[in-house]
Amino acid sequence: MTEMHVDERLIDHVRGELEPAERDRVDTHLAACAQCRATRERFARLMAELARTAPAPPPIHWGAYRAELRERLERRGARGGTRWGWLARPAPALVAAALVAVLVMAGLPGGLGAPGTPDPLALDNTILASRLDMLARLDVVQQLDLLEDFNVIGELDELPEPRKG
Amino acid sequence: MESSDEQLCRAVAEREPGAFDLLVERYQERAYRIAWSVLRDREEARDCSQEAFLRLHESAGSFAGQSKFSTWFYRILVNCCLDQQRRRRGWRRLVGWRDRRDDAPDEPDPVEQAPAPFVDPVEGLDTERRMSRVWALVDELSPQQRAAVTLSCREGLATKEIAAVLGLSEATVRVHLHRALSTLRRRIGDET
Repeated sequence: MTEMHVDERLIDHVRGELEPAERDRVDTHLAACAQCRATRERFARLMAELARTAPAPPPIHWGAYRAELRERLERRGARGGTRWGWLARPAPALVAAALVAVLVMAGLPGGLGAPGTPDPLALDNTILASRLDMLARLDVVQQLDLLEDFNVIGELDELPEPRKG
Repeated sequence: MESSDEQLCRAVAEREPGAFDLLVERYQERAYRIAWSVLRDREEARDCSQEAFLRLHESAGSFAGQSKFSTWFYRILVNCCLDQQRRRRGWRRLVGWRDRRDDAPDEPDPVEQAPAPFVDPVEGLDTERRMSRVWALVDELSPQQRAAVTLSCREGLATKEIAAVLGLSEATVRVHLHRALSTLRRRIGDET
């Protein structure tokens, strides 16, 4: 008879969310099944206790809350929305400016090394230039550097001993 | 006559003065309460609920009016809170913290070893007094089950609304609620 129990419908029954036909079916079952009646009663008691005893969050000063929100809104508005907001943050903006400057210098005739001289920077700049799209996700790229640092720290003991002399 | 939430949201989209402030006043307590229910941290709840209002201000024009304003706003809010939880977990992973339940049960948790942040003892006592045993057990549920229980039993949202807020089907919300309440019943039974 277990397959006839209506456990899965009992929470909706307590919440009054069953369609009329389904509710009638569950009511009929409950009238005949003491086990489901007891289960429904336990769910109902638990839900009532949850509603009655819900913890209140620590109090805050609503005037200060709204003032702070207003300030954040104005700050965000001042830097012209969120899409380019990251440019207003000083660190990414400086790094971006430096990167662009390096790329521009590399592209100028005579920039970064004499013609004909093999320049190790040129290769780096070519690679950087091919990944200009990464500028748009500079915040993520910076995080990658951080992750790399953590990897290095984690493998410090595997680094070769420094040569003496 | 008092404007409805939906009318106010449209007024926010058109940058009508005062509309945003009115919506904030209407929803600030609920937003902070829901954020705190999910995050259990006053500063994070304050920050996330404010962030939800900022996103509301930015995207009020995209509110199509197909759902209730509250459902649409709660979805923004809960997403902010779940993002915050993910960031919190990501940071803990980054500094080498591992979940004791998953691995290395004997290794001390560096987060627990670090000096505890200052907590006002009076506030702590009040919070403890307010927390009933059953809600302490709710804290041990998965984030989605906890959100479903909070939105259902505390905020009184219908299954359809919870589904819209959490971005899940109604059937999945029913499963979450059933599992959560069954677990709570079992654990309460175990303790008594």
